[in-house]
Amino acid sequence: MRASVAAEKAGVPAVSIIAAPFLELARAAAKGLGVTEPSIAAYPGRPMIDTDDELREKVKNSLVPQILAGWSERVSGASGTRRPDEPRPRDVVFSGSFQQVQDYFDDQLWSDGLPVAPPTVASVEEFLRYTDRQADEIVGVCPPESREATIWNIAVNGVMAGCRPEYMPVLIAVVEAILDPEFLLEDAGATPGWEPLIILNGPIIKELNFNHGTGVMRVGRRANTSVGRFLRLFMRNVAGQRIPPGVTDKATIGYTFNVVLAEDEDAVRELGWEPYSVDRGFARGENVVTVQSCVSITPPTYSSGSDALNHVQIMSEVIGQGFAYWAYTSMRHRRWYPVIVMSPSVAKAIADDGWNKDDIRKYLYENTRMQAGLAEKYARNTALNDFDLKDMVARGVLPPEYHESDDPQRLIRVFYKSEWIHFVVAGDPGRSQARGYVQSHRHGVPVSRRIGLPSNWRQLIESSDERCSLSG
Amino acid sequence: MSASEGASRGPVFDVVWPLGRVASKEVPLAPALPDLNGKTVCELWDWLFRGDQMYPLINEELRRRFPDIRIVGHETMGNMHGTHGRAYVANLAELLRQHGADAVIAAVGA
Repeated sequence: MRASVAAEKAGVPAVSIIAAPFLELARAAAKGLGVTEPSIAAYPGRPMIDTDDELREKVKNSLVPQILAGWSERVSGASGTRRPDEPRPRDVVFSGSFQQVQDYFDDQLWSDGLPVAPPTVASVEEFLRYTDRQADEIVGVCPPESREATIWNIAVNGVMAGCRPEYMPVLIAVVEAILDPEFLLEDAGATPGWEPLIILNGPIIKELNFNHGTGVMRVGRRANTSVGRFLRLFMRNVAGQRIPPGVTDKATIGYTFNVVLAEDEDAVRELGWEPYSVDRGFARGENVVTVQSCVSITPPTYSSGSDALNHVQIMSEVIGQGFAYWAYTSMRHRRWYPVIVMSPSVAKAIADDGWNKDDIRKYLYENTRMQAGLAEKYARNTALNDFDLKDMVARGVLPPEYHESDDPQRLIRVFYKSEWIHFVVAGDPGRSQARGYVQSHRHGVPVSRRIGLPSNWRQLIESSDERCSLSG
Repeated sequence: MSASEGASRGPVFDVVWPLGRVASKEVPLAPALPDLNGKTVCELWDWLFRGDQMYPLINEELRRRFPDIRIVGHETMGNMHGTHGRAYVANLAELLRQHGADAVIAAVGA
């Protein structure tokens, strides 16, 4: 809808062709952009599964009349109904028991299906103690509903997600990351159903008692779990991405939120490697969040022995093939940032054999391959019916190596650029396992932000519950 | 917890709104265009969902109904989606001006 709204702004009447199952999403997106009565021609059904004859019939008899009506049957200057007045931040919108609050929030679509901690003014103000920023500061505007993200509503959703108040600096940095225009938050409701993945580095991991060891990606530790939950809740409430009965989250199947992936920085230091945040351009010891999309997770991949090559070969065979299905998206968009999580013992075996992260990257880049014909088949079956490696090479979109012959069984790279592959060391040090986290291409590219701490952070942390202290 | 105690049902919570104010401004619709004869239609495509098959059919029908219509196809207008989608939209007003657009079709959302 963005192009159509841009045309309307330029004074040119625009009609958007939208497949019927996506009409409500389109209207909601247009409303977020300021157009409450967009001109839409609805394609009846699903174009990707219609026969050529069905498509022809629907275009001529349904789409074209709607397109003409969309241009001619409109009231010049009209923009639809005005928005109703909405509450101010400190307005009490409901009073009731714990259970009544749950029911009310469920009815309003303000919950994620789990019980929420009731966001009272006092509980929100407790969170505000952990930032020097003003409650009414606008951090940014969240598409698709175009609602303002403020320090206040970050705290409200943090309360609801079950966070402790001292997580507030992390919550703010997470929201700053997803509001970077590069992240494309407006596309977080796309059909692949990607989830944001938060990667955390710095001394704050210990200060706030994040888990970086056994079961690092399981629910069970309050810091990892509640901050992960917060982000999904914030995306529902402030960005407006809600599954039915909401209309803006069109994840075909989707999966549940990720808990925070905190790196085992002690293990990284012992290897002589740098933490992930340094790979992202920050100094060692800085508190940094990185948020990126994740469409799927590869199988747990075991490897053993002291030979680095054995570990990396198995990574290429199993994790690499887990990435292969989605590789066509990198050829289409030329953006793709796979993350491989290694348990400390895998990383140690590789490092002890003299390999560094660049060596692993190079191996995976050179050796992880797939059949070209499969990449084309997978792309065309998604929606890219014109996806043709030969054509893309001819147009200079892809390098020549992607079309060295017409043999559909020729092997091409799975990883588009070696420097886009990243590693995080975390998990049980007692077991040798790795897993891949498949990033979604240009949607949800990794964005990192420094975590800003209040001037009295040390004092606040030392006076907080010992469960969150350094000694914990 | 800033909850008051109810007489029989436990604490009562006075809760606040978890959303934020809508920041976008309302955009008025462009003027209606009842007759396309002599007008220019610019066709935008996101290179998805069989738009390359839909547009020739749409064009055939538009030309049948409006013999003097001028159509600027998606091949000329470029890909509105993908890596450069945001820049494309930012530059769209100028692009439409260059092509003398009187109307736009944008496809395909699914």
